Amino acid sequence: MIALVSHKGMNRAEDPDGTIADVLIVGAGPAGGMAAKHLVAAGLSVVCLEQGDWESSDRLPTGRPEGELMARQRWHWSPNQREREADYPIDESESDVGITMYNAVGGSTWLWGAHWHRLTPSDFAVRSLDGVADDWPITYAELEPFYEEAELAMGVSGLSGDPAYPAPHRHPLPPFPIGKAGRKAAEGMNRLGWHWWPGSNGIPSRPHGHLAACVRLGVCSKGCPEGAKAVADKAYWIDATASGARLITGARVREITTDSAGLATGAIWIDRSGEEHHQRARVVILCANGIGTARLLLLSKSARFPDGLANSSGLVGRNFMPHPISVAVGVFDEQLESWIGPGGIAIYSMQFYETDRLRGFVRGAKWSLSTGGGPLSIHPGLGRASLERGWGAAAHQKMRRLGHSLSWAICGETLPDPENRITLHDELSDCDGVPSVKVHFRVGENDRALRDWHIERARESLVAAGAVETLSIPVLPNSGGHMLGTARMGNDPATSVTDRWGRTHDVPNLYIFDGSLFVTSGGVNPTATICALAARGARHLIAARRDQKVAA
Amino acid sequence: MNWFKEDDRAVIRALADILIPDAEGMPSASAAGAADELLDRVVQLRADLAPRVLAAVRFARGKDHRAALEELRTHDSETWQGFCLAIAGGYYLFDDVRALLGYTGPERRPVDPEAAPDFTDLLAPVLARGPIWRAPRTTGEAP
Repeated sequence: MIALVSHKGMNRAEDPDGTIADVLIVGAGPAGGMAAKHLVAAGLSVVCLEQGDWESSDRLPTGRPEGELMARQRWHWSPNQREREADYPIDESESDVGITMYNAVGGSTWLWGAHWHRLTPSDFAVRSLDGVADDWPITYAELEPFYEEAELAMGVSGLSGDPAYPAPHRHPLPPFPIGKAGRKAAEGMNRLGWHWWPGSNGIPSRPHGHLAACVRLGVCSKGCPEGAKAVADKAYWIDATASGARLITGARVREITTDSAGLATGAIWIDRSGEEHHQRARVVILCANGIGTARLLLLSKSARFPDGLANSSGLVGRNFMPHPISVAVGVFDEQLESWIGPGGIAIYSMQFYETDRLRGFVRGAKWSLSTGGGPLSIHPGLGRASLERGWGAAAHQKMRRLGHSLSWAICGETLPDPENRITLHDELSDCDGVPSVKVHFRVGENDRALRDWHIERARESLVAAGAVETLSIPVLPNSGGHMLGTARMGNDPATSVTDRWGRTHDVPNLYIFDGSLFVTSGGVNPTATICALAARGARHLIAARRDQKVAA
Repeated sequence: MNWFKEDDRAVIRALADILIPDAEGMPSASAAGAADELLDRVVQLRADLAPRVLAAVRFARGKDHRAALEELRTHDSETWQGFCLAIAGGYYLFDDVRALLGYTGPERRPVDPEAAPDFTDLLAPVLARGPIWRAPRTTGEAP
């Protein structure tokens, strides 16, 4: 066994050219960024391969009048719509929800809504409490210090002390005003005696590190032109690269390589000219999201790993939990200016987050009051409405809702189901000829019951707030942006892909630090937990590096 | 680049006014310029939409326009969606239309760090009810 020691202390005779990285990270999103920041600070040499490029907030059109029009192309949520060479196509023909992701330095945080929520203590013990799914191998208490670290790194703004979480539940930056829209919704919740809390956003209310202060344009999920939203390039990668991490962009990884002993030795990647390279490394960490990481593991087949790397359990790619988002909308007589940001969330509710079996299902959901968007976002004809209902005088009437509506985005827990999975595609490939993926996802019985019940409660709250009309969207198109569960962590190698630190059971120098690790999805947005897991995993890797097995 | 000839424009105006007529106190698409200068602005920003607008024109020319739109919607969703987005995208760029809807669009509204929170009065009942999270060691009771 050769231990992983700091770059400075490494035996140079083993690597006279210095071409072997101590750690290779695949994917420059928030998980990769958090890991890189820790690893370079510990003196390890870090190389990151990212298939996208550095982006610039200046290129985003969202602050301009034509922003909505432009957001539907170059900055579309769906990689299938953007058709950039940095993306890979995704077959969604057997999925109940479209997939949202972005490939660049910063990853999908370029287009995230910046909703910042921790999982709750019960989320880590779903089997014990509710008899479904599985318990995580870790607890909320173990993850709590890493949540706090991530909140500082991502410039989270919010009000401390939410009674939906154990104390202390603190945020590093003060909350945003909740505005007319937030107050209106909060009044309805108070009439019903239901929980709500001012929004917690991965958006700084004051200048923070490389992030500007938010000016509430309300366009967060379509890309912030102010550089105020916590995109992982600014939150992590600027500093990580300045500290010595080597970030190679336009680098598409097609295989994780292993030696005869079954240890990871690096990765084969393709540059934009089509030339292949082999980056050698002592440790490999996958941070390519719950679809990309599963894809790469399944691509890395060999005689020793015929079903894909780290897949002796057969669970790589399975238990995909994408959180299809439902929406309940209330229309009000008064102008609420509900396009004002951050968007982001004004307020949220955890009133029905925990299980009550009398409802006919287990687990729950978090509701977020989100900005309503501009005219193209709510136009009925640009959805799937008929000519009669979506256009003409009817459309003019409906467009009067602009700014007069409140929308609860309902993030309900998706229970794990091994049949919901990512598989390699037989025909579809990216522009480098690397096989792409097919998403198999059907909304389960419990998830559907949960969704329908929550939509009705959300509509009730809007009526209580004074809505003159309510409507709902059971599944928001392209809302499958939470890519979770496809390489779950656990203590038993037969029922999990990694251990409690994110180290794969089968390949001791191969780690996973992204949303693939989730054992259950919870009913909240996952970025906080992804960042916390990456911080925890990286800290452990550093602490145990002298015992880390690496390839000879 | 001028994508559209005058006879194309005539068809575009007719189709666009079926989608967005003069009604409910709002101007028609053609009156707003959504088939003319605003359409030019749209295809300058989104050149990918121009071929789809022209495809709609070719399909609808010489036909009953409403029937043609309905047929496009049901049988050629790519052309239909592209045409609709081009027209609506231009229409809602028109300042008068935005003003009639009371829509200001994205505006810079920096947070005043000295301002008092605008929610304190509403939070009292939430705080009074106390913790609602569920401890893993129990089965269903809040701590």
